Formats: sequence, structure tokens, C-alpha cells
Amino acid sequence: MNGGTYYPIDVWGLLAAMLMVVAAAAVSWRMRLGIGRTLLWSACRALLQLCAMGLIIGFVIRADNPWLVALLIVVMLGAGVQITLSRAKGVPRGMAGPVLLALVITMLLMLTLVAELIVRPTPWYSPQLVVPLTGMLLGNSVSALAVGLTRFFESMRERRDEVQMMLALGATTWEAARPSIVSSLRLGLLPTTASLASSGIVTIPGMMAGQVIAGGDPFDAAKYQFVILAAISALTLLADTIIMLLVYRRCFTDKDQYLIA
Amino acid sequence: MTALLRAEHLFCTLPSSDGERVLFRDLSLQVESGEIVDLTGPSGSGKSSLLTALAQLNPHASGDLTLRGRPASAFTPQQWRTQVTYLPQQAILTGGTVAEAIRLPFTLAVRAGGSNGTEGAEDAYDGGRRRFLSLLRGADRHTADRLDDAAISRMLDALGCGDIELDRPPHDLSGGQAARVALARTLLTRPKLLLADEVDAGLDDDNAAKVAAIMTRAAREGMAVIRIRHRPPDGASSRTLVLSDGRLHGNDATHDSGSTDMQAAAHADGSRSGRTQGDETHPDGVHPDGSRAGTARPEEEA
Repeated sequence: MNGGTYYPIDVWGLLAAMLMVVAAAAVSWRMRLGIGRTLLWSACRALLQLCAMGLIIGFVIRADNPWLVALLIVVMLGAGVQITLSRAKGVPRGMAGPVLLALVITMLLMLTLVAELIVRPTPWYSPQLVVPLTGMLLGNSVSALAVGLTRFFESMRERRDEVQMMLALGATTWEAARPSIVSSLRLGLLPTTASLASSGIVTIPGMMAGQVIAGGDPFDAAKYQFVILAAISALTLLADTIIMLLVYRRCFTDKDQYLIA
Repeated sequence: MTALLRAEHLFCTLPSSDGERVLFRDLSLQVESGEIVDLTGPSGSGKSSLLTALAQLNPHASGDLTLRGRPASAFTPQQWRTQVTYLPQQAILTGGTVAEAIRLPFTLAVRAGGSNGTEGAEDAYDGGRRRFLSLLRGADRHTADRLDDAAISRMLDALGCGDIELDRPPHDLSGGQAARVALARTLLTRPKLLLADEVDAGLDDDNAAKVAAIMTRAAREGMAVIRIRHRPPDGASSRTLVLSDGRLHGNDATHDSGSTDMQAAAHADGSRSGRTQGDETHPDGVHPDGSRAGTARPEEEA
């Protein structure tokens, strides 16, 4: 990082931030909102997980070993699958494989295109770049996949009479499922397109903010941020499309009959 | 002579909270072109399940189905369903207008490119059907999804639905109109066997009579119809099948031709209830193989 000053946060800073959450939780208790416990618990989890991640990434960067980078990414992928499945509601069993495949394909594309073609770090596996990139992509794809899967199966259940009618008229399973696929893709991508359009006006996205705070050149940070946002929107749509192609047939038998397990 | 549709060893087993529930077992039935068969029975006896089983839409059913002697396995599910078409009780119309709703079947891949998906099972009915489709498609044979509004209007007129404007949103239609549009949508695809699931339930007598008239006309052109009905017999059907306690009881109305093949169900056991008088309304001169089909298409009468 060139030129700028860097302002670290000490333990008291963490405590102060935690106190803010405690205060918010107290207000929630007072107002009987019923989210105080969840808020506190999530904040503690976040603190621990982020600190752990920081320490681990620090270790991996210092170790400078491609295998360690790969191992970390594999662990992140596994966690991504687990979080997607726990967030997706009303989804049949056996979704882990398709979700993993969708995440792996988009992650490989992300690393190939963004890391190796656009940024070109040395060494090529530079953990300082690769690990945060993977994290940002996974964060977006995981929520898009969870929303997309939930919406798809929900929509297929809502449309059961329409699906049956279309099949009766000779529709293929794809034709009968298509309206549900479209609606779930749209919903899954909504937050991504929204953040793409509002970035720079209302919000300074997290990555750019971080780079600026860390003393980086704001224009450099802006370019970085755009590359990341663009790649993430494209790849999130891709991940959602892949998962839909892999799972839509789960609503049908091998004789193309409508049946949701 | 091969029957239009022959179904044997039909089973339907529903999954339920305490294991499985057998809805019906080892049913058989045959249907000939041009005949209207009523299917009755207590509610919950599996009438709808039987119809969806015949259309290969029922995941809980199994059985041996043949269409004109060709086994169901020789068709893709889509090809089979364009020939043996289930019409659900509830009229579901998609799209922004009535015209769009009616075009839906022609936007599907199974009907793309002028093929009606019968893989060379050529007969007069198929020929008529193909001409019929090419007529609907107008000059451009790739405009399956842009059917001429005028052609659809003529069809609706001929089907007794002339009172329904094509540019109306489907959700504006009355129940009777929606039922007739759904029926017209299916009839325009020219199935060989129409499986009508209580299409006239919830309709007033006027609309029910119109629906019956439309089906009678279609049957006269060679289409076979199995109707689930709860209304009193309207004289349109040639025989009645009763499904109760998992068994199918046939009633073979006295029939002018091909009576041996018109035997209702293998399980006809003499309890011939619910007779209908079919002869006076049954179209005369319809050969069981449907070869008369295509000689009187609705658009020629319009």
C-alpha cells in the first residue's frame, strides 16, 4: 500500500463495537422485538469467525504455499455448500452435489478470469488476492443459490396445477418448469444487480472502502471494485443457472410426470 | 381390429401416512374412436387418477397402455400426451389474453416444425390433423406461437365459444367461459382421446350443455372422449363406466357396430348400473378406426 497512513484497531475498539451490539440488543429486549438473542449470538459468531479467518489468511499468506491456499479454498467451498443448504427452505434432499458443482465452476472461472487474466499476481496463487476473491464470490453465490433454490421449489409447488396442465398438453419438463426457473433466477440476482447499480452513489462497497481505509489510492480501489462487482454479478447468474439446470428435473419422474419429493 | 386405446393391468398406489393405499388394481379398459364414455363413481374412488394414468401423468400409477396397438414405450411422454390428452377439472389459462392462452400448446416443442409427434403412425386422422395444424399456422409454418387471431376466432365460433373475445384477459372470464376456452385449447390440438375431468362441474345447465355439445361434435369427427361426470346422464355418451372400491364396472350400451371390441372393461361383472341411452346421439357411420376423421373440421362449418 503506497503512501497512505494505516490506522489499526486495538482490543478496546473491538470491545466498543461489541458494546454497541449489546446496547442494540438491550433496546430490542425493552421493545420486545424478539431479536436480541439472535443479534448478540450472531455478533459473537461474526467476531470469532472473522478473527479466525484473519489469523488463518495471515498464516497462509506467510506460508506462501499453493497447497495451503487450495486447502483453504476447499474448506471455504464446503462451508459454502453447508450454508446454502441450511438457508434454502423446502428443498428436496440430495442438493449438496449440484450446489458444490455450481460453486466450484464459478469459483474456478472467477480465479481464472479475474485473478489470472485481469490482475495477474505473482506468484500466480498469491493468497493475498485469491483467498479474498474466493470469499467475496462465495458470499454472493451462496445467498443467490439459497434464494434461487428456495424460490424455484416454492414456485413449482404453487404452479402444480399449471405444470400438470402444460404437461398434459405435451410440454417437456423444461417447458413446464421454465416459468419457475425464470422467476427464481430473477429473484436470486436481484440483490446483485441492485448493489451493482447503487455502488458509488449510495454506498462505497466493502472492498473499495477497505482499500481506501488501508491507505490505497481511491481510484485504484474503484477499478478493483468494479472488476469484482462485474465478475460477481456475471458469475452469480451463472451459478444460479447451473443449479437450475442441475435440479429442475427433481420435480419430475423419469416419465416426465410432476412429482416433488 | 385394434382399439384406439387399450389399457391393461392399471394399478394406482398412493403413498399415505400409514404405508401405502391401493386406489385401484389391475383395471382394464378399451376405448374406440368416436365414442364418448362416461366415468362415474363415488368421490375419492380414483376417477381422476385413472384418467391421469391413461395420459401417463400419474406418478403413482402403472400399467400397459397401447394406442392403436403401439405400446406407450414407443412414444415419448410428450408424443403420447398430444394423442391422449388430459383436461383438468380446473381451467388454468396462462398469458395476458384468451388468444395467448389458446396458443400455448402450439408454442411447445412437441408441435414445432409441423410434426405432430406420431413418428410415422400415418392414418387419415393424422393427415387431417397435420392439415389442420398447417392451416392454423397460416403462411409461415414457424409461427406456431403467432397463430392467426381470425383462425382462432373461427374455431371458437365453431366450438360454440363465439361469445368470448380473444383479447380479454383470461382472469376476466366467467367460470363457464374459462372452462370452454380450456376445452377449446385442448380440442384445437386434435387429440385422439380426450380425458375430460369433470369439465362441466360447477357450470350452470346452459354452459354444461354447451360443453357437451362441443364434445359431441368432436366425437363425431372421430375423437374419443372419456368424461368424469357427476351430473345426470345427458345422452351424449355411448356407455358408462363406474369406478368404485378399486373396481371398474362397465356398462355397454347397445351399440351399432364393433360391439365385440366395445366391451367395456375386463372386470364388467354384470352390475350394469348407470346405463345411458347412447344410440340416438351416437354419431352414426363413425368407423372405430377413426378413418372418417378429418372430413368435417370445425373451420369448414364456420
